[in-house]
Amino acid sequence: MLGGFLVIGGLGVVIGVGLALASKIFYVYVDPKIEAVEDALPGANCGGCGYPGCSANAVAIVGGKSSPASCVAGGPDVAAQIAEVLGVEITLKEPDISRPGCYYGVQDADVKYLYQGINDCRAAALLDGGAKICPIGCLGLGTCVRACPFDALSMGPDNLPVVDTERCTGCGTCERLCPKHIITLTSTSERMIGEYVTDECTAPCQRDCPTGINIPAFIQEIRNNNYESALAIIKEKCPLPLICGYICPAPCELACRRNLVDEAIAINPLKRFVSDYEMQTGKHLTPFKAPGSGQKIAIVGGGAEGLTLSYYLARLSYHPTIFEAKPQLGGILRYVIAEDRLPRKVLDHEIEGILETGVEARTNMRMGHDFDLQSLFEEGFDVIALTKGGFDSRQILKPDPSGYDASVPSVFTMLDFIYSLSKGKNIRESRRVVIIHSGLEGLELARKCRDMGAQKVTIVSSLKAHELPIELQDAKRLTAEGIIVRPSTIVTSLRGISRRLVRVAIEETDPIGELPEETMTIRADTLILAAGRLPEFVFVRSEEAEGLEPGEIAWETIESFRTFPGGNDGICTPPEPGRISDSSAVVKSLLSGRRLTRAIHRYLTDGTIPPIQHLVCEADAVLDVREVHDVSPSERERPDILDVTGDSKRAWIFPSEYPGLNEASAKKEAERCLRCGLICYRKQK
Amino acid sequence: MTDYILLVVSCIFVNNILLMQYLGNCPFLGVSKRMETAVGMGMAVVFVLVMAGAITWIVDSLLLKTFGLEYLRTLSFILVIASLVQFVEMFLRKSIPALYSGLGIFLPLITTNCAVMGVCLINIMEEYSFLQTLVTSFSYAVGFGLALVLFAGIRERIILARVPKPLQDTSIGLVTAGMLSLAFFAFKGMV
Ligand code: SF4
Ligand code: SF4
Repeated sequence: MLGGFLVIGGLGVVIGVGLALASKIFYVYVDPKIEAVEDALPGANCGGCGYPGCSANAVAIVGGKSSPASCVAGGPDVAAQIAEVLGVEITLKEPDISRPGCYYGVQDADVKYLYQGINDCRAAALLDGGAKICPIGCLGLGTCVRACPFDALSMGPDNLPVVDTERCTGCGTCERLCPKHIITLTSTSERMIGEYVTDECTAPCQRDCPTGINIPAFIQEIRNNNYESALAIIKEKCPLPLICGYICPAPCELACRRNLVDEAIAINPLKRFVSDYEMQTGKHLTPFKAPGSGQKIAIVGGGAEGLTLSYYLARLSYHPTIFEAKPQLGGILRYVIAEDRLPRKVLDHEIEGILETGVEARTNMRMGHDFDLQSLFEEGFDVIALTKGGFDSRQILKPDPSGYDASVPSVFTMLDFIYSLSKGKNIRESRRVVIIHSGLEGLELARKCRDMGAQKVTIVSSLKAHELPIELQDAKRLTAEGIIVRPSTIVTSLRGISRRLVRVAIEETDPIGELPEETMTIRADTLILAAGRLPEFVFVRSEEAEGLEPGEIAWETIESFRTFPGGNDGICTPPEPGRISDSSAVVKSLLSGRRLTRAIHRYLTDGTIPPIQHLVCEADAVLDVREVHDVSPSERERPDILDVTGDSKRAWIFPSEYPGLNEASAKKEAERCLRCGLICYRKQK
Repeated sequence: MTDYILLVVSCIFVNNILLMQYLGNCPFLGVSKRMETAVGMGMAVVFVLVMAGAITWIVDSLLLKTFGLEYLRTLSFILVIASLVQFVEMFLRKSIPALYSGLGIFLPLITTNCAVMGVCLINIMEEYSFLQTLVTSFSYAVGFGLALVLFAGIRERIILARVPKPLQDTSIGLVTAGMLSLAFFAFKGMV
């Protein structure tokens, strides 16, 4: 008996001592923070952070490879705990939640065959991409629902997954599993600044709306009597819905699928109906605001584009300030468009709504006169965006008699430049001039600059060498003259210090041989654009600091929008130089305002502005149907003209006298909408 | 030589520790949902079992047998195996971190794996020599891994099938395990 005690006891002691020794000998230093972080993590091992499990992410967080806010399942509480452990601050990010993007279940969609195989979407997708004709349609077998570790998904009545937004943690399990990429993680802010891509279910009207309003969704909300949510959907893409309701040319209605049956849905009047509804309440719908970091952003120009930009920036929780040269905001909307077409009370209502989101406005402020880049940076603005207008805004501004617009240091439009030359004004002595031009006028101007004492003039053109005028192809002779021609080249950014331009970054679109690792820059103290107006430059402070005098600030521009890599649209490219979209209608300015927002937001959060691949508006063809079946014709609703004795033709010309749809006819009209998708639409059963 | 070959075959197939002796069923059901983890667990068992077999054999013959304390076998084996696993974990972490990160999470699971304990006891009861102990331990472990991998393969496919609600997950797992076990009965009488 005693022996037993001794042996087991002895064994225990020996092993105990052995293990104790071993733990000393084989001691591996583990950062106690890792354990603390791991304790803070929920332990769901869902993989939403991109690491195989919570402990792997803990190691990555402590090692600085992963963000303290990377745990999507834990949310802000866990992030705060981790930040405390690490002793850092975190900037909260709006949570992503999953969002299914298919609207017609298998039973309502056109199918190629009947599927009766294994009950799993991944298996079903192997057979010619699934039974549906639509290549991006939900297969409805609920693989995502079963896989969700947080029970946030269920199969809805129409055989489409439904997300419980309370439960969804944004772990991304469903997104990874769905073979059709139906379910994706997005946040409201991502959707706000996002654009439609080809493998996304979009309605024809939605694709043709320049600003991309989710038309079927808002019409559906009208059907359900939720006018406010209808407006919220519109405002996600269009911050000036009432203005658009009045003066938008409504290209969406031309694309409406209902045209194949009878007549397009009155999309624009419906939009005006919900916006009128808001105006009648006298209040503005408070838009969703994403948590953000609150950088200060200056917007030069308070027209449609500047207003849009400031609205989105405010919704992303930045602090935008508009600088407007005229006494009131509105730009062309106020100073050019006739009051009969756009009543000023409508305009004021909309501008008020935008200012209410947290936008500051300073009027009677002219760039280059009352303030400039240097003074704005000194005031603490992190980004300065130029939204100087669709028309040549100097026409409205009654330009300086000196002739040129002095807003951006050493950057001139060619017209300004030549005009001031002809007036005998001497534009500051320049040594290195860059001219963006592809024609003979550019060459002529280059020679003029040489005569005026410029040492080197570079002509940059996006055309290929053999497409240039023959005079510009003779590189040898021109070099002897001190003129260098760079074909197939675009300007991608400007760099300067305080009130002067220093360098121009260029990129070859059609490089011979390997693409250079970094963009090339050439020295320049004057840049002349072929355009009649300045592009939408976005200035940020630059890290580079060569030759900085005390008190000076180095700046550069960022490239705001490029649709595909290698595309030849730098910041100042003809035919619409530097415009990230044209301004032929107010909605188009809204689009460019939003694209600028995307660029600024990406730049401030991720540091890079990735091009969007497969943009719907760039794609040659997007799947659509040519015939519509099982839809009975019905007449388009028209507003009642109140004064039957009046001239109804006049009402067409002056929409302010033209009443909108009343509630009953708006609802009737909304019923006509087919709620289209890529292929599916509402059929009468 | 043929003895050893027979020993190997019998340990892997005929007396498969999981499917014929029903030892170590918790990891069999627990870690068999995905092939990857099943393979990892199989490897970890091979590694630990060979070491545990050897050490317990030494403890038994040098300590317990000499003092006539065979009745303390179960107790002391538990002690030895648990601390062995601990030790191995520490050792790997320091010396072979790559192997550690591969087997890491499975090692603590093995502490409570009755298949390991079972094999060690079988080795003693069958009065194998040290070399035979090594061989049987290794082959039992291989048998364990084989069953686990087979089972994981089946289970990965079962998730895709339409299983009636009350039978889902563990229930269907047990039914499948039973059938797999029946299949292994075919090896009976082979050796
Ligand atoms: S969203 Fe994808 S995984 Fe979910 S049911 Fe539809 S096709 Fe299947
Ligand atoms: S029917 Fe409705 S969803 Fe379809 S194109 Fe017309 S407005 Fe858009």
